[in-house]
Amino acid sequence: MDDEIRTFADGRPSAPPYEPQARARARERLLAEARGGRRLRLPRLGWQTAAAFGVTVVLVGGVAVALSGQGGTEIRPATSVVLSGGELNPRPDQFILVESDTMYGSHSVDASGGQTRYLYRQHRKIWKSVDGSKDGLLLTEGQEPRPWPGEPLPADAKSWRGSEWNQLASCPDLRGPYRDDYAFLSTLPTDATAMRDRLYQPVPKGKDVNADAAAFTRAGDLVRENYLPKPQRDALFEAVKTIPGVEAAEGVADSSGRVGVALGRVADWGVREELIFDPAAHTFLGERQVAVDAKAGAPKDSVLALTAQLDVSVVDALPDAPDAGADASCTPETQAPTPIPSESGSTTAELPAAEATITFTPEPTSAFAVESTSEPETGPTGTPEPTVTRTVTPTPGS
Amino acid sequence: MVSVEDTTETLDDSTLIGHSMGDPERFAALFDRHADEIHRYAARRLGAELADDVTGEVFLVAFRGRGRYDRTLPDARPWLYGIATKVVSQHRRAERRRTAAMARVGADRPGTFDERSADRVTAEQLQPRLARALTRLSASERDLLLLVAWADLTYEDAARALGVPVGTVRSRLHRLRVKVRRALGGIDPFAAEEPQHG
Repeated sequence: MDDEIRTFADGRPSAPPYEPQARARARERLLAEARGGRRLRLPRLGWQTAAAFGVTVVLVGGVAVALSGQGGTEIRPATSVVLSGGELNPRPDQFILVESDTMYGSHSVDASGGQTRYLYRQHRKIWKSVDGSKDGLLLTEGQEPRPWPGEPLPADAKSWRGSEWNQLASCPDLRGPYRDDYAFLSTLPTDATAMRDRLYQPVPKGKDVNADAAAFTRAGDLVRENYLPKPQRDALFEAVKTIPGVEAAEGVADSSGRVGVALGRVADWGVREELIFDPAAHTFLGERQVAVDAKAGAPKDSVLALTAQLDVSVVDALPDAPDAGADASCTPETQAPTPIPSESGSTTAELPAAEATITFTPEPTSAFAVESTSEPETGPTGTPEPTVTRTVTPTPGS
Repeated sequence: MVSVEDTTETLDDSTLIGHSMGDPERFAALFDRHADEIHRYAARRLGAELADDVTGEVFLVAFRGRGRYDRTLPDARPWLYGIATKVVSQHRRAERRRTAAMARVGADRPGTFDERSADRVTAEQLQPRLARALTRLSASERDLLLLVAWADLTYEDAARALGVPVGTVRSRLHRLRVKVRRALGGIDPFAAEEPQHG
């Protein structure tokens, strides 16, 4: 920085401190939003990209592909059918349906700044347009959570019952290199070296980014809740093995008990993140996270995430889900600011209205109070069946 | 056993945001980390009152859009500044007024400029002459200039915040310097302070 810019830097006006009360209010509002969004966390966030986040969120995958074609009205038992030569060959107008069981860490901050954590579990079904041209759907059903290793189950872990439908907005153009629809995945390199290069693209832009960590994460994002054609699967498997820090371990089981090869890498938060693959078919079975040092905040060798991608199939149409939560993730980032809910008596409401050109388009927060009409259908005994809460009846396409 | 706080502190922003996808409340850690800085930036541009609202808004927008965060970037500041810039731009009229007011101060007090060696920057007061120069810039030029000059972003980070290539940032800054120099009257008002300046 120099010359004219330096002039401005030197002449910057002083800034008053952030008043603790105003700061606390803003933080509380954020937390209220976060808590309110718990039920609809996916709709608001754009859940697809959530998948791109791997770490905590999402799911996992695995394998087992049953070419079930146009969905019958029956729910297929979640038996895993290991790919035996039966590769999927979906048409562009169809949907890939991936079914998984997942367990990931949930970390919450309560109003007083205290934090609680536990392992939350879900059974998930995700439908994604083969060519990305249509919106998808996600069904999540809560399953009984487990305590964080070495700790009691916190009170906020108790409300896990119920299921949710969420729309998944599709916007391949916006997602660019982060696309994960089948049409895109099938254009990925079939050669391990070229695939490896892709894992390192786009080049991370941050200063302190560990490119290898980013590449490993990207690999997980490609296989989790997705279906890769065999040539890409093979290339990816070989490519991941070459990422510095990655080690292979045989005989690692996913959450459904299927055993495969785990390609793992220790992340900077003290956890070994593993992607488990079928040794021969290289289908993605699931993922696991294991504490390796104190940074993980859990006893060494305890499991902090474990999933299984149970089934992958092709269907012609989405099931009927009229009350699915909306997904705003494809709307342009320059969204109109949403009004800050001003608590009565709050001084923050005293915004000099004359000067604010903000167009407060009141976001219908009530619209998000999508009380899930689906009653938890799990028995009162708390033993959720890993079955779908609603009958999935794909309406056959034309 | 290590406390969660320790764990959270060691995580980079990207990982925290990743965690917040499944556990929304974790996003509060990002607020704890960066709210003061964003507030300072907002306060410089808009004044204290609006800064409170803008800061709250920035984190709500960030929270809702966290699914789009490029998690290859461990430092979320450029992203937050980008959002802050957009939110600030909703208050353009307020900013213009504020800048105009600061420019007027100087017109009324011709001596101000020479007081710089003592305490150039008095509370809440931008150098009137700089304020006048600011009024000559387009909104996007002002956004860029102030991200670099007031928020201390590197060119790379500013590019990231504004969603443009870094080359664009450089060329814009070049044009901007010329414009500012002209607005300042063709001379560098602080040249005397910087012997090396040439």
